[in-house]
Amino acid sequence: MLLATIDVGLLFEVVWASAIAGAVVSTLFALVVLFSARSAETRRAGHGTIATIYGAGAVLAFAAFIGLVVYAVHIMLSKS
Amino acid sequence: MDNDVVLWIVVATALAFDFTNGFHDTANAVATSISTRAMAPRVAVTIAAILNFVGAFLSLAVAATIAKGIVQADMVTLSIVFAGLIGAISWNLLTWYFGLPSSSSHALIGGVVGAAFAADGPSAIIVDGLIEKVAIPAVMAPILAFVVAGVGILVTYRIVGRQRPSTVSRGYRLGQIISGSLFSLSHGTNDAQKTMGIIFLALVANGNLPADAEIPTWVVVSAATAIALGTYVGGWRIIKTMGSRIIKMDPAQGFSAQGSGAAVILAASHAGFPLSTTHVVSGGIMGAGAAKRVSAVRWGVAGNIVVAWVLTLPASALVGALTYMVVHLFGDGAAGPVVVSAVLLIALGVAMARRVFQGQTLTADG
Repeated sequence: MLLATIDVGLLFEVVWASAIAGAVVSTLFALVVLFSARSAETRRAGHGTIATIYGAGAVLAFAAFIGLVVYAVHIMLSKS
Repeated sequence: MDNDVVLWIVVATALAFDFTNGFHDTANAVATSISTRAMAPRVAVTIAAILNFVGAFLSLAVAATIAKGIVQADMVTLSIVFAGLIGAISWNLLTWYFGLPSSSSHALIGGVVGAAFAADGPSAIIVDGLIEKVAIPAVMAPILAFVVAGVGILVTYRIVGRQRPSTVSRGYRLGQIISGSLFSLSHGTNDAQKTMGIIFLALVANGNLPADAEIPTWVVVSAATAIALGTYVGGWRIIKTMGSRIIKMDPAQGFSAQGSGAAVILAASHAGFPLSTTHVVSGGIMGAGAAKRVSAVRWGVAGNIVVAWVLTLPASALVGALTYMVVHLFGDGAAGPVVVSAVLLIALGVAMARRVFQGQTLTADG
């Protein structure tokens, strides 16, 4: 009876979707922190161009992270 | 007249449940942020309260028919709803007293299941629904969050591990403000709806509204206000357990627990498989701690939390069933709910008075 109740396909979907979403969130924000730190370090060392490239990387990663947050809010509001 | 009295008692009890739901679940959104000093405690609960209030207005689809698919809908009466709410409130207050995070939704379902069982016997319960909507998510949520947060923190340490700790901590504190805010908004859109659904159901059952009516504004505003006030009061005992008693966390772990938790909840919600926020965040905190060092998790505290999760459904069901039986002793009129409410209010008043006499404060931090 228990096996008949469980939608194994749905459970599998939840597991892989959660795992991917979690990994993407962690990676993106870690990149924001990494690029920000590197940007500050290289700027202090007088390497302005490299600092700008790292800064741009941080901005891009942060924009992608915010995109995920916006998508999360969309999911929140579109549930029935 | 009698019916109107029962109706307003159910409305008041639903708002009381909403309030306990708010202060019980504040920890999910703010515990990690307070623990890692991403936000000052009062600032954290204020932001959480505001976002819960806003969230309650953002989504008004009344999907929140309580215990839908778990008890036979046509057997649910106002007395059952009342008894179920008392079961849920009792469990929320008991677990708050012991500082244990537990699911308010499961407590509500348990209360209604117990009351329906006492009213109509086993035929009122849909066992498959109970397994599918309560048992499986309850097992799956913490395990999934544990693994995802654990992997998340390992990825994080791998990427930022060589950076200056102060820079990393500053970055992750900012991240925690965002993830905590997302949790609070999500809680408002989700949990305030349950109370709106209960009040709406009561109004329809009492003949005050047709079933296809829109939710009255006063229902939305009162449910949003109750959950926001509960959140602002803050269940500090639970915040303390989740923020510092399970693991001593750094900002990256706090973000990982919350960020991965949010990812798990929303991915599951997107797939049509709602999970308990409390189970997910607690599992995430344990995972973020264990991935760094297994012994970093206080497994005794974690064990107590798991015991509370296991007991949530039967304990709230037992109180729901007992409440229904007491209400039923007084017949179908308003006498039963009035007597039960009066007894509970007197008991609460006596407990508060004793605390005042003992010189203790009356805030939710106990």
